[in-house]
Amino acid sequence: MKLSNDANKVLGTFLRQYKIPTEDVNDLEEIVSMMPEDRKQIYKNVQSNPVGDLFRYSVHIRIQHLLTFTTFLLLAFTGLPIHYNDAFWAVPFNDLLGGVEVTRVIHRTLATWMVLSMVYHLFTVIGGTLQKMVEGKFDIGRSILPILKDARDFAADMAYFAGQRDNRPEMDKFMYKQKIHYFAAAFGNIVMVISGSSFLFPEFWNSILPPDIASHFQEMMRLSHPHEALLALLVIAFWHWYNVHLAPGRFPMQWTFLTGKLTREHQIEEHFLEYLRCLASLPEERSYLREVLVSKGLVSATKEIDARQNFLFDQHRQWIKEQTELGAQGDVLEDRQS
Amino acid sequence: MCHKYPKMGRVDDEGFQKAYYVIPEVFSKTVHRNVPCRDCHYYIKQLPHRPVKEGVRCDRECHSIENPSTGKPFSHKPIYDTFKKSVHGREKLETGLDNDKPYCITCHTNPLYNKEEEAPPKKITDRCVVCHEDEKFAFKWYNHTSRRIREVKRDTQDIIKLCSRCHADQELLARHKKDADDTGREIGEKYTIAAESYQNSFHGKVAKYGNKQVANCLSCHASPDNYYMSVHELRPSRDPLSPVNKNNRVKTCRQCHKTADANYAAIDPHPTDEKELNEFNYYAEIIYGIVGDTALALLVGLSLFETIGRKRDGIAWVLRNGTTWRGRSRRKRKSA
Repeated sequence: MKLSNDANKVLGTFLRQYKIPTEDVNDLEEIVSMMPEDRKQIYKNVQSNPVGDLFRYSVHIRIQHLLTFTTFLLLAFTGLPIHYNDAFWAVPFNDLLGGVEVTRVIHRTLATWMVLSMVYHLFTVIGGTLQKMVEGKFDIGRSILPILKDARDFAADMAYFAGQRDNRPEMDKFMYKQKIHYFAAAFGNIVMVISGSSFLFPEFWNSILPPDIASHFQEMMRLSHPHEALLALLVIAFWHWYNVHLAPGRFPMQWTFLTGKLTREHQIEEHFLEYLRCLASLPEERSYLREVLVSKGLVSATKEIDARQNFLFDQHRQWIKEQTELGAQGDVLEDRQS
Repeated sequence: MCHKYPKMGRVDDEGFQKAYYVIPEVFSKTVHRNVPCRDCHYYIKQLPHRPVKEGVRCDRECHSIENPSTGKPFSHKPIYDTFKKSVHGREKLETGLDNDKPYCITCHTNPLYNKEEEAPPKKITDRCVVCHEDEKFAFKWYNHTSRRIREVKRDTQDIIKLCSRCHADQELLARHKKDADDTGREIGEKYTIAAESYQNSFHGKVAKYGNKQVANCLSCHASPDNYYMSVHELRPSRDPLSPVNKNNRVKTCRQCHKTADANYAAIDPHPTDEKELNEFNYYAEIIYGIVGDTALALLVGLSLFETIGRKRDGIAWVLRNGTTWRGRSRRKRKSA
């Protein structure tokens, strides 16, 4: 496979950031050049473990997801009967919990847990990002932050779905869909926390807002809370659950939220750039893929030509050489100084 | 006399059975038990009397009851006169639109003394009779004062129900709105949606759930300076003396919301999304609806589109034997 510009850039950055040694790079170069140009052939022929093959989410993210979805669903189930209190189903539901006054207390308690989960998440992502920056391992393309490439990926994916393109775009650890979902959820959470707190602490909010905005703010919040909740619930029910449970290839469920691992075929199909990183850092994955490509007769016919065109490996080897020489010079300098 | 007989009654001109029986055992336990019939039913001049067309007026003097503070015959006239000047004020035999307005007996009944008021504790009456030799006086005094010392306000739900009897009657409201429009009379802009919009407010919802502390109609519309007087002289919000007049709202809100300021008082306690009354809410509601529906439609559309696209390359629904890509590709174009 001749690597695309995006793949070149991503893999080159990763090799440098993680200082992948020459012998691994040589192996990686070989496996990359063996890969067929049609990526579908790869993900259609690999074996996947339904509970996941390749690491994706830390235990913190998994706990945060558990906290978020349990509080979210329970908040929705307690919030809806408060909002639609006249509905035929709301009265017995509230009665079941001990009356609407109890439902309200439960709703507020859960809201506190949801806020704590948000704070926990912010600490994790900000702390984790800072740590990566300090270690020189941060790559914006690998993060959840939206970049221009996401728009290109979206357009290319639409073309693939419409049958106008042979392969899905090479997407990174987080594809455009996940970024939309993440920021929609983040926006939704913020709206819910602000609007919810404006019901709980109206005096506080109105004391800090300008007079012209204060009354409109409260009315806006009164509209926003149920609208946003309903939208979020419908998006979760129709989109998120579809994507992680019902979509072909994901049915009956993706185990990632529990195991933190993604199936190999999914990784290659939707997160090819991240898969390249896995290949770079996991010798056993390279061995496995080599075996599959050879046994299934998928080794690229243009392997030699491709290998010559993938300049990044040569560049990286050169870079390692320079680093080593610099290191040696540093050692000599240190020796002289001492 | 005659009304103590259980079968006292008749079928009126419209065919309704009317009972005129006054149960002596019940009347004797009411707050008006010491007022002779003709103190209120003053128009009865002869017995048996002719069909009654006037009804009770509460501004009469009770010649049999002396007001101990003035020595004059007792009367509800002062509060009656106050009420007449209020936005609800009307004469007893009012006709036309004013007939829709409440009269004393719309809100007030002839309440019974309750069990606790009926039976004064012995330790109190024992002390009274030391000076007040007539034990009956001590009992009456206790009935009277204990009832008034104790809080006898209607509870939140009862007040909402009481006000809603008229303020949620759409026909009545439409009648008055039309008249105000026709005659150029000033009328509150939320006059027709007062009850409905309250029900949609936080106060209304919490009240509906049975909370007794939450603000009801009179918590805001009656003055906190003298609640009992004020409920009889309710004023429209445009009146500078009304507690809900824009200049008095902060003080009114602070009865419950201690830190309320002018910003807080600007929150609308009668929220509505009617275009004429709140254009901001009206358009915000529409925009929210459009944005929500569009987002959902796009996302569901994307899921379907994606499924069709991936199915074309042979994805299956269940991960089995290590792969989900078990179907045959139906792609027409040759793969690169």
